[in-house]
Amino acid sequence: MGLELFFTGTGLVVKGVLLLLIIFSVVSWAIIMFKFFQIQKAFTESGRFMDFFWKTKRFDTIAAQADRFASSPLTALFNEGYSELKQLMEAEGAKPDHGGGVNTDLGGVANVSRALRRATNLEVNRLEKYTTFLATTGSTSPFIGLFGTVWGIMVAFIGIGKTGSASLAVVAPGIAEALIATAVGLVAAIPAVMAYNHFQHKIRVLIKEMDSFSTEFLNIVQRNVAGK
Amino acid sequence: MYQLVHHKETGLGISALLSVVFHAAVFAFLIWWQQMVPNLDPVEITYYVDVVNLPVTDPRSGNPTQTGNEDVPAPQPETPPPAMTVPAATGKSPLVKKSVPLEDSKAFQESLSKLEGKVDSQRQAAAFEALKKKVAAKGKVGMPRGTGGESGSDYTAYLHSRLKDAFGKTIKYQSKNPFVMVRLTIDGDGRIIRTRFEKSSGDGVFELSVTRAITLAEQSIVPPPGRSVYEGGFVFKPQGVIQR
Repeated sequence: MGLELFFTGTGLVVKGVLLLLIIFSVVSWAIIMFKFFQIQKAFTESGRFMDFFWKTKRFDTIAAQADRFASSPLTALFNEGYSELKQLMEAEGAKPDHGGGVNTDLGGVANVSRALRRATNLEVNRLEKYTTFLATTGSTSPFIGLFGTVWGIMVAFIGIGKTGSASLAVVAPGIAEALIATAVGLVAAIPAVMAYNHFQHKIRVLIKEMDSFSTEFLNIVQRNVAGK
Repeated sequence: MYQLVHHKETGLGISALLSVVFHAAVFAFLIWWQQMVPNLDPVEITYYVDVVNLPVTDPRSGNPTQTGNEDVPAPQPETPPPAMTVPAATGKSPLVKKSVPLEDSKAFQESLSKLEGKVDSQRQAAAFEALKKKVAAKGKVGMPRGTGGESGSDYTAYLHSRLKDAFGKTIKYQSKNPFVMVRLTIDGDGRIIRTRFEKSSGDGVFELSVTRAITLAEQSIVPPPGRSVYEGGFVFKPQGVIQR
């Protein structure tokens, strides 16, 4: 039996199940491709940004060139930390008893730390966006497919009962057609689960990199700015 | 202040488009694959051996004594066997009379025995005649002039058996009680030159299985008798094939 005939010959419920699974598959593949390029770009630009960061000693120079690494989450962290630091320094500079550095006792570095943590959270949210759909597809698609199969087999057996013939030639096609729903469910679920796990791993690596960068950034701030 | 607007996700639309194209390509590939790759089912070749001649429409046609050139006289009309008749009444019944004269009784007995003898001989003659006709009739079966092919071998039954066997291998359906009424036209070389679906319940899968059965049967059928063009109708149902 041809696929085109199968899709036109099935019942409404099985057709609906197949349509739903195909939509799931299309959307999850769209997310997989999008996330793959997004995370890949984030990794590449993070590496380049870190090289640039360690080579360049001045924050203002880095901030001016940060747009070159817009896809890197580390750039976002740096921008946020630098922005907070600048505001603090401006605020400290405006005070009459200004001693020439950031007052750590009043939580100046802690402010930067909070800003970095908030930026990390936002970046993690950005990186994890849409991946929940992959998890949903991976966990529910087999069950939706199974529902289609059960329904298809039920309809097939009702038909067999009415026909009165129980030969393999009569029973097999209905069951085979019903099983296609499970197969489509698995086809939608397997790549989604694999991609979800892969992206989760990559995002965890990026989170660790962001944490490391935050620590490094705070150390630099404390060494060079707050210690003045 | 950090803002999310710095990271506009423009790639999602392109990814969605790519995903749709990818799925369409996979679907097209699967359809192409089904058409290109031959069926990998195990090959089961059925060898047909027609041990006897196919039945003829009129088995009594022809005569074993005929060579095919002589004139055949018209057969005699069958004479009906003599009907049993009640003997004509000869006056009063002797059984009725209480006292019958001896001379009359003897004469009656003689005439009765004569009558019985006559009836017996007539019965024997009728039975003998019937036996002769029966023997004569038996000798006509399947003889030279009755070729069977003239009146038409049962090619439909032959075709039916082939279609039935082929249909058993290809039958598939999805609706409850599908049926397809097909009219086949077979040329003198035994090729199906036309397959017309006259009626159908609309089950596409079932129609496809019927088409496959006809294609499969075509590989094993022989030309029609006298290499004439044959046309016949068959009804395909899940229960089997029926001659129309």
